[in-house]
Amino acid sequence: METIEVALIGAGRMGQVHGPNAARHPGLKLKYVVDPRPEAAQAMCQRFGAQAATLEQALADPAIKGVLVCSSTDQHLSNALAAVEAGKAVFCEKPIDLDLQKVLQAQSRFEGARFLLGFNRRFDPHFKALKQKLDAGAVGKLESLHLINHDPASPPPGFIPTSGGLFKDFTIHDLDMARWLLGEEPVQVYTTASCLVDPEIGRQGDVDTARTVLKTASGRLCVISNTRRSGYGYDQRIEAFGSTGMLNAGNVQQDTLQTLTEQAVTGAPIHPGFASRYQAGYRDQIHHFADVLHGRAQPLVGYADGVAALVLAEACDQSMRSGTVIHL
Amino acid sequence: MHKVVLIGAGRIGRIHARNAAFNPRLQLAGVVDAIEASAQSLAQEYGCPVLSLDQAMDDASVAGVIIASSTDTHLDYSVRAAAANKAVFCEKPIDQDLARAKSAAPQLAQAKLLLAFNRRFDPNFQALKARLDSGAIGTLETLQITSNDPSPPPPSYVAVSGGLFKDMAIHDFDMARWLLGEEVVEVYAAGSCLVDPEIGKLGDVDTARTVLKTASGRICVISNSRRSGFGYDQRIEAYASAGMVRADNVTESTVQVWGENGAAADRFQNFFLDRYAEAYRREMDHFADMLDGAAPSVGYADGVNALALAEAAAESVRTGAPVRL
Repeated sequence: METIEVALIGAGRMGQVHGPNAARHPGLKLKYVVDPRPEAAQAMCQRFGAQAATLEQALADPAIKGVLVCSSTDQHLSNALAAVEAGKAVFCEKPIDLDLQKVLQAQSRFEGARFLLGFNRRFDPHFKALKQKLDAGAVGKLESLHLINHDPASPPPGFIPTSGGLFKDFTIHDLDMARWLLGEEPVQVYTTASCLVDPEIGRQGDVDTARTVLKTASGRLCVISNTRRSGYGYDQRIEAFGSTGMLNAGNVQQDTLQTLTEQAVTGAPIHPGFASRYQAGYRDQIHHFADVLHGRAQPLVGYADGVAALVLAEACDQSMRSGTVIHL
Repeated sequence: MHKVVLIGAGRIGRIHARNAAFNPRLQLAGVVDAIEASAQSLAQEYGCPVLSLDQAMDDASVAGVIIASSTDTHLDYSVRAAAANKAVFCEKPIDQDLARAKSAAPQLAQAKLLLAFNRRFDPNFQALKARLDSGAIGTLETLQITSNDPSPPPPSYVAVSGGLFKDMAIHDFDMARWLLGEEVVEVYAAGSCLVDPEIGKLGDVDTARTVLKTASGRICVISNSRRSGFGYDQRIEAYASAGMVRADNVTESTVQVWGENGAAADRFQNFFLDRYAEAYRREMDHFADMLDGAAPSVGYADGVNALALAEAAAESVRTGAPVRL
């Protein structure tokens, strides 16, 4: 297979997920790693035989056809814009930005661009199977949806102030899943939330436990359950209720072993976090980006999806603060 | 043996009659029903007489009255039985009208009245509550109650049911209060009519999500549908600071069939008479406990409080806004 050269911007937490997947993909070659911290860039370069570079150097190289934007959230939009304007296809981690106005202002400059937004859950094999069954009519017409997204343990308090808050940082994944599965845009948003996990999160003006109810024009309902700390691993489930049945994508346990004793039947814990739970999905997402670069596919999730999810995240926040239902 | 009489020989009355008749501490001493034939057939089945309401209430040897008649009679019969110094087993809901239910407080607040929220007696939900109360998974934070009926009732039933929240979700409101351990201060409900347009024409909804919040910030979501399409979906998940406890659906058997296209488990126990058979039996046994001197574990105040939540949820759907209690 012909290989296409790509650059990775940001060798942090998400860069360390996507960088290796790109480097190992037979249709891609990781040529540059851009990171303001030389040691982070260097480590990735050494692993995969790439070169450390500045953003300008990477974008100026005509051999680079694709850019993976995995920098800090406040850099996503400017990095993605620079790459698009240099004629590159872009894979961009979510969210595009925390500021909806900025995202809307930049939207026209992304028109016609090959832009894949990193809503990785759309690529999870279990959720993909659920969507396929749903679309195939296996349970009739969709009526309601339950999305469960619970983190194993709360992030360090230092993360909260720059995170954008629970809805833009965390719930945004569920808001995208809701849009993807509901097949209609939500017209009503109600969110109630509490700080039950860590009082420090509350002191920083954020919440750690929330329930959101979305309603579409035709009356479909969706509940989103969020907590920053489950106490039992990374709880990632979807239930889709249709007119003739229900589809249930359950948690994935770390192994299938069961231990049976006089006291109890016990099984393995569920996955401890996103890196292992969504390992296959992250790989498939980069595979899809490679397909886009090779001209075999159009991006399955784009800029407009990022805008729509962000609008919903802001509505969640507004509903929680005002104690009212937000109509979109 | 404590003598008990049954008022109301309909579907749920027949369940209670059976459990009373088979309870070693109870004697089913008579059946009352406005429809003579219903009373007659049930009385025959258990070898007891058909009684008039007056006969049942005035017989001093009758220690307990099981009220399984139509909803609009629950409150009056409860008041009358309590005044006649009998222990009362009253089907839910206590009434469809909150103000009316509240007005019976002088007669019923101290009465020996078991309000028959059967799910509190389900062995699975009892085990869930015991685990939660043991503190094994820390402090409760949130709750997910799923309660979906297999198929919608006929429109004629919907018309007199009091609506989804008072008729169906009332069970879930009671479970929420029982498990949350705190009273609810805020109620939001979103409802739709997606199952049967006839239900919508009657001014009711058939699909709803209700969010309850307590003063300390605990949150509970209740999922309801009048038609699941896959059986009687009855589950609870309780999320706490150190883990989660979950009571799942019960299948008709443990048989699974595996083939080239995947695996299939047996279907869920279909509808409440099967799914809650053991709960109904335990509930009647608790009534026997009461006749032996125990205090009711769920009573008049619980019926009123669940009704208040049902009214708040219905109001929230009507106004489109959360309701503060």
